[in-house]
Amino acid sequence: MLAIFLLYTAVAGHSTPTLTPSQMQGKSGKLQVVGTVVGKLHGDSHASSGLQFQLADPQGHSAKRVAVVYHGAAPPPLFRVGRSVVVTGVYAHGSLQGTDIVTKCPSKYTSSAS
Amino acid sequence: MADLGRAALIVTFGLAVYSLVAGGIAARRNERRLAASARNALYCSFASTLVGAAVLATALVRHDFSFKYVAAHTNRHLPVAYTLSAFWGGQEGSLLLWLLVLTGYGALAVAINRRLLRDLTAWVVPVIGGIATFFSFVLVAVASPFDTQTAPFDGAGLTPSLQNPYMVAHPPMLYLGYVGLSVPFAFAAGALLSGRTDERWIVATRRWTLAAWMFLGFGQLLGAHWAYVEVGWGGYYAWDPVENAALMPWLAATAFLHSVMVQERKGMLKVWNMVLVALAFELSVFGTFLTRSGVVNSIHSFAKSSIGPWFLAFVVISSVFSLALIMWRLPLLKAKTKLESAISREAAFLYNNLLLVALCLTILWGVLFPIVTQLVKGETRTIGRPYYDFFLRTFGLPLLLLMGIGPLVAWRKTSLRGLMRTLSWPMAAAAVAGIVLVAIGAGSSSPGLIAYTFSTFVLATIVVELVRGTRATGSLFTLVARNRRRYGGYLVHAAVVLLAIGIAGSSAYSSSVERRLALGQSMTVAGYTLTNRGVTVDPKANVTETRAHLAVAGRWNGTISSGDNQYVNPPEPSREVGIKTDWLRGQDLYVIVDEAHPKTGLVFVQVLVKPLINLIWVAGIVFLFGSLIALWPDAREQRRLVARLAPAAP
Repeated sequence: MLAIFLLYTAVAGHSTPTLTPSQMQGKSGKLQVVGTVVGKLHGDSHASSGLQFQLADPQGHSAKRVAVVYHGAAPPPLFRVGRSVVVTGVYAHGSLQGTDIVTKCPSKYTSSAS
Repeated sequence: MADLGRAALIVTFGLAVYSLVAGGIAARRNERRLAASARNALYCSFASTLVGAAVLATALVRHDFSFKYVAAHTNRHLPVAYTLSAFWGGQEGSLLLWLLVLTGYGALAVAINRRLLRDLTAWVVPVIGGIATFFSFVLVAVASPFDTQTAPFDGAGLTPSLQNPYMVAHPPMLYLGYVGLSVPFAFAAGALLSGRTDERWIVATRRWTLAAWMFLGFGQLLGAHWAYVEVGWGGYYAWDPVENAALMPWLAATAFLHSVMVQERKGMLKVWNMVLVALAFELSVFGTFLTRSGVVNSIHSFAKSSIGPWFLAFVVISSVFSLALIMWRLPLLKAKTKLESAISREAAFLYNNLLLVALCLTILWGVLFPIVTQLVKGETRTIGRPYYDFFLRTFGLPLLLLMGIGPLVAWRKTSLRGLMRTLSWPMAAAAVAGIVLVAIGAGSSSPGLIAYTFSTFVLATIVVELVRGTRATGSLFTLVARNRRRYGGYLVHAAVVLLAIGIAGSSAYSSSVERRLALGQSMTVAGYTLTNRGVTVDPKANVTETRAHLAVAGRWNGTISSGDNQYVNPPEPSREVGIKTDWLRGQDLYVIVDEAHPKTGLVFVQVLVKPLINLIWVAGIVFLFGSLIALWPDAREQRRLVARLAPAAP
């Protein structure tokens, strides 16, 4: 049984690297970035130029930012500057072409002030 | 007031330590009076926790914002029901609820069983005392709900999306489930410690396990339904670590509920049952660690809290303790009989167990994968939906099939020919269903087709069983009343079939179309034509509601509205989806309006048609009903039990 799922995870490779903006150095291809939305939001996810924003490290340990260009369905309602999000997309030439955004629910265990 | 709460918890901690230490000494030396004193301490720890809980509840109702907890989770505008539900809306309160349920459950289970199982309960007291010591320590020293501050004028309030009746019921249901699993765990540990490893601990805790399992299962469905109607992405389960944290102990408990029947009947699988009950308990605590420690990424952004390491330590210590106990008592856990045939009831239970535990462990592997890759490769990698879906099909579909065959196979052994004869009607029904399904075009998804044929098969076996039993007893009512456990179980099986049909229907056969619609423009999805009739903005006292209105024609005629709410206090948005249920087909028309421009009337809309999804919610009710039948007190069963257990008690 163990063999089946080890084999499966190894061969089928359904795993995606999950990184923070400070860990992006030298990376490329399909990945997930966890970060806090910072700066200004530009554009529109339905338009050809997409919705543009930047992600910073979630705990603010590093000054590294990642530029995101996102296309697709409008991001979830809780998406806004200051929120923690997970963006999935393809990373190339210092920019992430986002295809999916998940905002973390401001859940019960976080105080609403954050 | 806060001092009273704090003092009550310190008293609970003291009592818990006493029942752990004194109870342990009493059980070891077989000192009756000391054992009674430790037991009384456990009863009193429930009373003192109740005082603490009453203090917090009073502070919530009185909007006493000098309690940091009250200020962080409520405000003056919050309706009373949600104000009270904030008791378990935050970390400290939910831990207090955990302790309250634990001491209450523990006291009750010990009180009920202390005469019949005296030698065993003498050891159960220190085990529950040990668990209560941990929780009361965390509440006293690490995460107190009674921290105070200078009262602000108003509190921070509760996120709008959590102001939902499902969110009032969902968390406590899960806690009743998680904590309930500590009762069978404590009795198992008690059996090992006292060396009384016969099946008495299983018989004594059957209803406790069943109740905990029922709460955990129903609580998860409530959560899924909340996600479906409130979060508004069109799904109900995202394989998120927090969701998996509840599913894993439920799967382990499901395996346990089945395998104990083999031990009761045949005296087999003793070690396995001990391992399963420990696994279910550890997973329920481990889930709490996962969700509160911030070690894995979840869409539920639980704040990184200080209790994580404490929980990890508790999981490690209690796992080592359980494993050591099992190893120590291994000679006492020898099976009375051997498996005689691969086609027998006990073998069917064994296959069921292997599949359930395999599913549980693959999910655990998925949850731990980011941590493992971080440790091994130095890079966090996440496993997504395809992994989980693959294993749900791989292990879930054979489980579904087994659910039909298992109950019809005789104990000890059955000839293949005899089994085929019993299964001939259900197999014919499944074949007909398969042919009809292919004819109406359901062959587009093979997992869907397999799930449906298997489901028909299982339902047919249940009907065959009911018909056979009713013929023998003359009345369906008498049949069920006399064998509540068996027929309650069948009803739960029927619920699982409905769940499978609902999941397969809504995922394998759903349609989804995204469109940009100008005012007056239309789109068609699966027989529904939707026309944009414009956008309205409605400012109210605490909320501004923006809605796009779409006229629907075709399978249903009417108007469906969807958009978002922007709240003033707390300043949060929430997505409001439009759902129209077609009960005849069990199908939902689900409309998500992404963006709505009031001036131009332009909207971006995603329309989903989800066939049979409502069977999932119906399954929840059938599941509850079936579990209650199996749980319902039965005087005859009780008499049999006393007769069976009495000679064993000294």
